[in-house]
Amino acid sequence: MVSLLEFQNPDGGWPYQRGGPSWTEPTAYALLALVAQKSAAEPFARGLRWLHAAQLPDGGWAPQRAVRQSTWMTAVAALLGPAALGTDAYLRGIAWIVRQTGEETSLPSRVQRFLTGNAQTDPGWPWFPGTSAWVSPTALSMLALRKAARCVASAQILARLDMGAECLLQHACSDGGWNYGAARALDYDAHSYPETTGVALLALSGRDTPAIRKACGWAQAQLARCRTSEGESWLRLGLLAHGQLPSDSAPPARPPRTVQNAALAVLASAAVEGRNPFLE
Amino acid sequence: MPGLNRRDFLMGPAAGLVLASCGRRPAVRREALVSVVRRPDYTQALYGDLRRVVSEHCLKDGLHVRGKRVLLKPNLVEFEPDSPINTHPLLVHAALEAFRELGADVFIGEGPGHRRNTLDMAEAAGYFETIPRFEEIFTDLNLDCVAAVRLARPHSRLQSIYLAQSAMSCDLLVSMPKMKTHHWVGATLSMKNLFGTVPGGVYGWPKNILHWAGIPGFIADLYHTLPGRFAIVDGIVGMQGNGPIQGTPKRAGVVVAGRDLAAVDATCCQIMCIDPHRIEYLKLAVGNVAELLRSIHQIGESVESVRTCFELIPEWSGIRQS
Repeated sequence: MVSLLEFQNPDGGWPYQRGGPSWTEPTAYALLALVAQKSAAEPFARGLRWLHAAQLPDGGWAPQRAVRQSTWMTAVAALLGPAALGTDAYLRGIAWIVRQTGEETSLPSRVQRFLTGNAQTDPGWPWFPGTSAWVSPTALSMLALRKAARCVASAQILARLDMGAECLLQHACSDGGWNYGAARALDYDAHSYPETTGVALLALSGRDTPAIRKACGWAQAQLARCRTSEGESWLRLGLLAHGQLPSDSAPPARPPRTVQNAALAVLASAAVEGRNPFLE
Repeated sequence: MPGLNRRDFLMGPAAGLVLASCGRRPAVRREALVSVVRRPDYTQALYGDLRRVVSEHCLKDGLHVRGKRVLLKPNLVEFEPDSPINTHPLLVHAALEAFRELGADVFIGEGPGHRRNTLDMAEAAGYFETIPRFEEIFTDLNLDCVAAVRLARPHSRLQSIYLAQSAMSCDLLVSMPKMKTHHWVGATLSMKNLFGTVPGGVYGWPKNILHWAGIPGFIADLYHTLPGRFAIVDGIVGMQGNGPIQGTPKRAGVVVAGRDLAAVDATCCQIMCIDPHRIEYLKLAVGNVAELLRSIHQIGESVESVRTCFELIPEWSGIRQS
């Protein structure tokens, strides 16, 4: 935690790397890590103020101040929940997430896919509005909506969660896990990544299908050979969500090289100890 | 992209002026000096090669590097140190030394398109081991400060784009790609490598907005938008077949360099037995590929002496040079 606090910028936000500008993603993850640690009230308040100021009028969050477009980072901010963000800001963020879908499921794209014989997929979430759905933003948006579903009675949210789960399952790689979201390119199978497999498994928490069990097997095999701190953290979080984290798994070995990875490492450790801000 | 503010709007015309002065289809192309260096392996000899090449372009081609801030932009794609996916770190270090010896302030930056953990990937690719104090001179362009740039007369569907500030503000951007075939655009070389200046922190991983905007058109847009450039292509061991990730190694044994990225890429295509006229982004960027080829002044090895055909997947068999 000391290193996370050391990285906080004077404006209250967190950069990805020391000396960089504040971004929404590392700020939101750092705040979640502070929640998991139940500590550092003053830095938390300053971080929240930065986050509030970064929310755009459409309810979403831009990646950083120089950008005036809400993106996938809205889902990470919304993970902080209404207690931290305030009910109004939170609900506007959730409404923004619900409005987003991958462009490939827009009506013109669906018609085009029908005419060209391409398979239709369920709607997931894009990184950036107007583009296709991919695994990480879909999984993060589902995690945000899972939380929202506990405090907002909305059939639309539940429907989007189901469709998001289908979207993830439709994009699984043949080896069992997930990469960024293209399981095949020009008839060639693509390989899974640890970080995307972990976050997809976390988003699919509470569901049990043969594909998810296969993904858990792939994730377990990757734990020992993963080469990034981010991959280690998401794998642990994902496996833990399905009760599949081996009890004898080695502790994370890779040094986090960005603030959001340092925060994710804190969150994964907290989850192992029974406090999981993604699912609580 | 909604809502350009006043600052962006002021930057926009500047980019537009650059584009206007470059001209999409210049009446007469200036001569483009392109160096082709035969180098069969990644050895210490690369340091001498790069020193000679950069000096030669300073002497004969108006390249100015003394006191300039130079950004080396390699191609980092995947965690596969034994596969020819990434630009070899020895070539990058040799370029760094060459520019430094000529008085430049050199740093390295990259913004990979699929994987987020750039430093971990650079470590796996051998950059930490090969380049002293790598972490201190490296910028992750995906997580950099960003600048909004209006695209004057765009070839893609985009009117504006956010780009990494380090790429916009450096004096010389040195594109250092791997020589590879590419399943979406035929060949990925110094122009396609500019995609790494588009910040993943804004657009995600992959930078899918570029696919929706039209990849060839956006490559042409970047070619016209980014400031002073140079290219050094790692063709010592390239990738053929289903590139840029799942192809097989292809030992071409060359380094290709020059100030005009289109001329460098056209030369690489010819070395790979790919017809530059059939590469869409080259056509969009320069208009008249035949004129581009006529403008190239080759130094070092001739294309014919180093030509080695890269395997193409069936979807791209039509770009084979007859």
